[in-house]
Amino acid sequence: MDAEIDPTSATHGQRWEIEFRLLIEAIYQVYHYDFRGYAAASLKRRLRTALVNFECRSLSQIQDRLINEPGFFGLLLNFLTVPVSEMFRDPGYFRALREQVVPLLRTYPSIKIWVAGCSTGEEVYSLAILLREEGLLERALIYATDINPQTLAKAQAGVYDVDRIAAFTDSHQRSGARSSLSDYYVAAYGRAVFDKSLRRRIVFSDHSLATDSVFAEVQLISCRNVLIYFNRDLQDRALGLFREALCRKGFLGIGSKESLRFSSEAGAFDDFVPQERIFQKRDPA
Amino acid sequence: MVQSSAHSGPPLPPSALAGFMAAVLAVILMAILSYQAQTRSVAAADAVTQGVELIVQIQNLLSSAKDAETGQRGFLLAGDEAYLEPFTSGKAAINGELDQMTRLTGQSPEQRQRVDQLRGLISAKLDELQSTITLKRAGKSEAALAIVRTDRGKILMDKIRVLVIDIENTDRTELAQRQQEWQRTAILSTRITWIGSIVLLVLIGAAAALVSRDYRARQLQSWLRTGQMGLSERIQGDQTLDSLGENVVSYLAHYLGAQVGAIYIAEGPDRFRRFAGYALPAQLPNETLRRGDSLIGQAVKDNRLLHLTDVPPDYTLPVNSSIGKSSPREILIAPASIDRTVHAVVELGFLGRTDDSQQQLLALLSTMIAVAVRSSKDRTRLEELLQETQRQAEELQTQQEELRVNNEELEEQSRALKVSHAQLESQQAELEQTNSQLEEQTRLLEHQKDELSKQRGLLGERAADLQRANLYKSQFLANMSHELRTPLNSTLILAKLLADNKDGNLTEQQVKFARTITTAGNDLLALINDVLDLSKIEAGKIDLKPEVVRLAKMVDEQSRLFQPLAEKRGIKFSATVLPATPETIETDPQRLGQILKNLCSNAVKFTEVGEVSLLVSATAESLSFTVTDTGVGIPENQHKNIFEAFQQADGSIHRKFGGTGLGLSISRDLAHRLGGQITLQSTPGKGSTFTLTLPHVLPTAKAGEPALDETGIRAAALAAPLAPHQRRIAPAQIEDDRAQLASNARVILIVEDDVAFAGILRDLAHELGFQCIITHTAGEGLLAATQFKPSAILLDINLPDHSGLGVLEQLKRNPETRHIPVHVASIADHAHGALELGAMGFAQKPVTREQLIEALGRIETKLAQRVRRVLVVEDDERQRESIRELLGMADLQITTVASAGKALEALRTVTFDCMVMDLSLPDFSGFELLERMQEQDGVSVPPVIVYTGRALSPDDEQKLRRFSKSIILKDARSPERLLDEVTLFLHQVEATLPADRQRMLKVARDQDSAFEGRRILVVEDDVRNVFALTSLLEPKGARIQIARNGREALDALLAATGREADRIDLVLMDVMMPEMDGLTAMREIRKRPEWKKLPIVALTAKAMQDDLEACMDAGANDYIAKPLDVEKLLSLIRVWMPK
Repeated sequence: MDAEIDPTSATHGQRWEIEFRLLIEAIYQVYHYDFRGYAAASLKRRLRTALVNFECRSLSQIQDRLINEPGFFGLLLNFLTVPVSEMFRDPGYFRALREQVVPLLRTYPSIKIWVAGCSTGEEVYSLAILLREEGLLERALIYATDINPQTLAKAQAGVYDVDRIAAFTDSHQRSGARSSLSDYYVAAYGRAVFDKSLRRRIVFSDHSLATDSVFAEVQLISCRNVLIYFNRDLQDRALGLFREALCRKGFLGIGSKESLRFSSEAGAFDDFVPQERIFQKRDPA
Repeated sequence: MVQSSAHSGPPLPPSALAGFMAAVLAVILMAILSYQAQTRSVAAADAVTQGVELIVQIQNLLSSAKDAETGQRGFLLAGDEAYLEPFTSGKAAINGELDQMTRLTGQSPEQRQRVDQLRGLISAKLDELQSTITLKRAGKSEAALAIVRTDRGKILMDKIRVLVIDIENTDRTELAQRQQEWQRTAILSTRITWIGSIVLLVLIGAAAALVSRDYRARQLQSWLRTGQMGLSERIQGDQTLDSLGENVVSYLAHYLGAQVGAIYIAEGPDRFRRFAGYALPAQLPNETLRRGDSLIGQAVKDNRLLHLTDVPPDYTLPVNSSIGKSSPREILIAPASIDRTVHAVVELGFLGRTDDSQQQLLALLSTMIAVAVRSSKDRTRLEELLQETQRQAEELQTQQEELRVNNEELEEQSRALKVSHAQLESQQAELEQTNSQLEEQTRLLEHQKDELSKQRGLLGERAADLQRANLYKSQFLANMSHELRTPLNSTLILAKLLADNKDGNLTEQQVKFARTITTAGNDLLALINDVLDLSKIEAGKIDLKPEVVRLAKMVDEQSRLFQPLAEKRGIKFSATVLPATPETIETDPQRLGQILKNLCSNAVKFTEVGEVSLLVSATAESLSFTVTDTGVGIPENQHKNIFEAFQQADGSIHRKFGGTGLGLSISRDLAHRLGGQITLQSTPGKGSTFTLTLPHVLPTAKAGEPALDETGIRAAALAAPLAPHQRRIAPAQIEDDRAQLASNARVILIVEDDVAFAGILRDLAHELGFQCIITHTAGEGLLAATQFKPSAILLDINLPDHSGLGVLEQLKRNPETRHIPVHVASIADHAHGALELGAMGFAQKPVTREQLIEALGRIETKLAQRVRRVLVVEDDERQRESIRELLGMADLQITTVASAGKALEALRTVTFDCMVMDLSLPDFSGFELLERMQEQDGVSVPPVIVYTGRALSPDDEQKLRRFSKSIILKDARSPERLLDEVTLFLHQVEATLPADRQRMLKVARDQDSAFEGRRILVVEDDVRNVFALTSLLEPKGARIQIARNGREALDALLAATGREADRIDLVLMDVMMPEMDGLTAMREIRKRPEWKKLPIVALTAKAMQDDLEACMDAGANDYIAKPLDVEKLLSLIRVWMPK
């Protein structure tokens, strides 16, 4: 890293901090993306990577380009979000969904699921495949939302590198699969494209947990490894949205390293499958 | 501290035991001593008595002896036997008396000896006496006397006397001795009694003192223990430090009777912070303290309790109240420490004196406080650490995720690099080859380019020249026309004035001139306008405003305009639309009108005899407007010219017929702009036919702005809702019970402006055991309803300030009052409205007493109703029974029926709180049942839970959602959900929405005409919102059509087009939907001209300004953010709903 922007020295550290806040504010003011409630440490790390990538010497330079250069924000956004996901990640989670949540979902005539922070869509397709295997996809609707339109476009395309499929298949099997993953994709030219019919029951949309509100009543929300990027206040806000969006006794799944325990919303949920971090909305009555 | 248990130790403390033993011993000793004294006293008394008796006996003996002697002497003297009597009696008594004396002197041998001596003497004496008597009797008186003279008798007698005196004296001495002894023993006995009593008193006193001391100690112990227990109760549980401090200090102040208190916590080795107080003033200095400074600091340093008396008046812990302020008299400062570490300090201020017990307790409690504070601190720290751990775990996870991304990116890049490297190499070779070719071609091109650019430059110059010229022309024309109009205007006005000849001083000729000037001037003005128009059209400066034009209307307008004109000229004018023509055309109506007007006016103008006709016909591509006349006609060679400006067939014509001659030029240019043309067929003398051909749709049509006028519309506010304005309820004009409401009474609120009738109602209600509140206006009624929360309301409709229906609606809308049953009475028949609004009954005035009693009776039943009823509609018997089993709970009455018909019947007769139904029923389907339930009068609709084994299509579900909030598919886990939902409904019924909840959802078929009969298309895929919107809008009279996504919305709109009955008046458009989202749908809608004006309100969950702008850009007229604010949505709909 460039010696001149060594953030460890005190004055640089302060300058860095100011520039950081200004940049985040500028993003909010100009592009209405609200990163102010994100965990600062992670954002800063990602911005350091961005600095190197854009060959900028300071965050102010980034800010300059951000404000004055059309299209630059799109590039920067890819650094600010962490688009990492894989299909059937943590197979135990999907197994728990399949074995314990799905039987209850079955009693609803139509099923709504919200994948908040869907990134490049792997989890969305995983859920869709799971629902198809359980015979529920045709009466289900999955809302897949993310703040980054580019990753959302990738998710919508449903095209993944064929090298990753092997790992996906393994996880799929371990999630209690009733079919082969290969039933759902076609591989060619080093890519695998997932079945379009899965997408018919998926709505991809741009939605920010930091600024937007609830859009539908759902029975299951899967929001994994998203809350870790938020500070406590924003986590509370997001969980508040989830509570509002969930129907009576709806389900919420979060990431394996995430916890509701310290949130102000902790009282709104009961443990359902604690080891897989699946919660059920507590009945206020 | 703790006393040894009562079972194992001595029953009393040792000191008390010793006391009691001493007392017992003393009592025993006293008893023995008293007994002895008593015995001695009795013996002494006996001896005294014996002594006294002895003396008496001696006297008796002496007197008996004397009697005997006296009798002997008398006998000796008189010889009369009678004198012997004392002698015999004395002699007889003497022996007995002697025996007595012997007995009485039994204890003194000396005395006995004397008595024996006495006995001898007496018997000697008696013998002497006897002998004399015997002699006398024998008549030997002298002998007898001689014996007497021997003095033997006298000597005996003297001896007796001496002896008796002796005995007596001895006895008296003895008596005195005995008396003395008796006295002594009596005194001794008294003394023993006194001393004993005193000893006992002393012992009792000592015992009392001991017991009292013990009792006090015990009381103190118990007080201390209670204090400890109380505190330990207060500090139980996981409390935060602040609440712990608050609890501790308030408890201590309370228990110890302190007036003010504070507690400080150790925040470092030497720092203390006050974290809770009792009755502390808000602003107090010294929030933090250091060890060693101030008294508290000192107490901490010494780690011992500080007791402060005579506190200085400016001490920092003042006692405050709203009335005054003073300093405490005494202060206790107690450090709370464990293992010599001070964790907290308690400071208490007393207005009165304190004693040791308080200090003692404080010292005891301080350890507990320290423990509690320490554990609370530990807990807080633990919690913080846990949170920190969680944060770190999250942080770690983010880092991992980021690493994964970086990794993936790197892999991706290296892969891409490899690929591109290979590609690059192959491309390089190709490139080199082509490069040389390219160079050659480049040279060639360069040359051509030079040529081209030269020519382009030339062309550009020309074009610029032309444009400039054209601009100059337009500017010139615009300026010119303005310059021309100004003087022309005054000329016209003046000429008109002249022509009017008001003063009458002009000749007829002059007036005619003036008229000519006016006419000519008007012609000139028209010419100038036309020229200007033409130049505008040519410069392309007119704006077309395309819209859907109804042809019939267009043609009618022309007909209306020209019919009278034609009649005046004595010719016929007809306007016809051929049958196969479409009803509408999309074009600029103003321009079309202008063209038609021009053609028709020309035709009428140039036709002297015959007729003019306007005919509209259509082909697949275009519409034709044909104007045919029977006028002068136009020669073939002129056909082209007449359309050119200033080039009419006959230059003189326009002078004859008037007009500028520019009309056709303008018409032709306009027709071109509208995408059509004008053609002419004409034969001179026979007439002409002008045909305007236009496309069905204006080809250049662009998406325009929504044509509705936006100004001021948003400001349109809702009519202010009827609200209880008054703060106070005016007293009723007749007496009611509001002043003496019993707390558990059933209260009826009577809202009735007729005082007399109100009185009747009141009396009747009293009769039936209700209490009454009477108000006379709607506002007061509402206020009273919220204030007094009556059990029921009797409501009049005709009230002086507002309609009673308004009151009813307000009551049913307010969650606090909607459960109150309302019975309505009115002169007019408002039954339907009232019942619809949720009234439980209606009576039309005049009301009979019986009706009123019945109404009150129904209220009473309603109030008494506690049993909740559930209706189960299920045709399969086993299912039916299993549901009954499942739901069986206390005070729940379950009615099961097997068919829809039976269900309707049951609903008609009983009010149910909840209904569980299957969809497949033997007589008719569940859907039909639900629909009939809604339609039929007299059927109250409870909340419905659909419980079905049938798979539901999305359409079915949509349909069901209108009636039922809860649909459960029969599956393994369904019973659980069914029980859940039923419980929920019943709970709601109980808690908030008594019985007629569903009816209330229908709320008001109110005065809101904005909704009545209007069709609203709700494009929304979220069932919760669909249900909410439907139940909000349908009761207002709107008809709701549902589309679940953009595509369905377009289909619905398309289906409704052209059918007036199904016309959609307004669209509520969700943005986020499957298949086609709202933004796309709105853009699609706006593409079609007939939907340009269709009001669309977007519903969006997105909150940022640009998201909202995106809605507006896509063609929404307005937007509303989710979650939906009902009032705002209603006013938005009112605003945008076409009037």
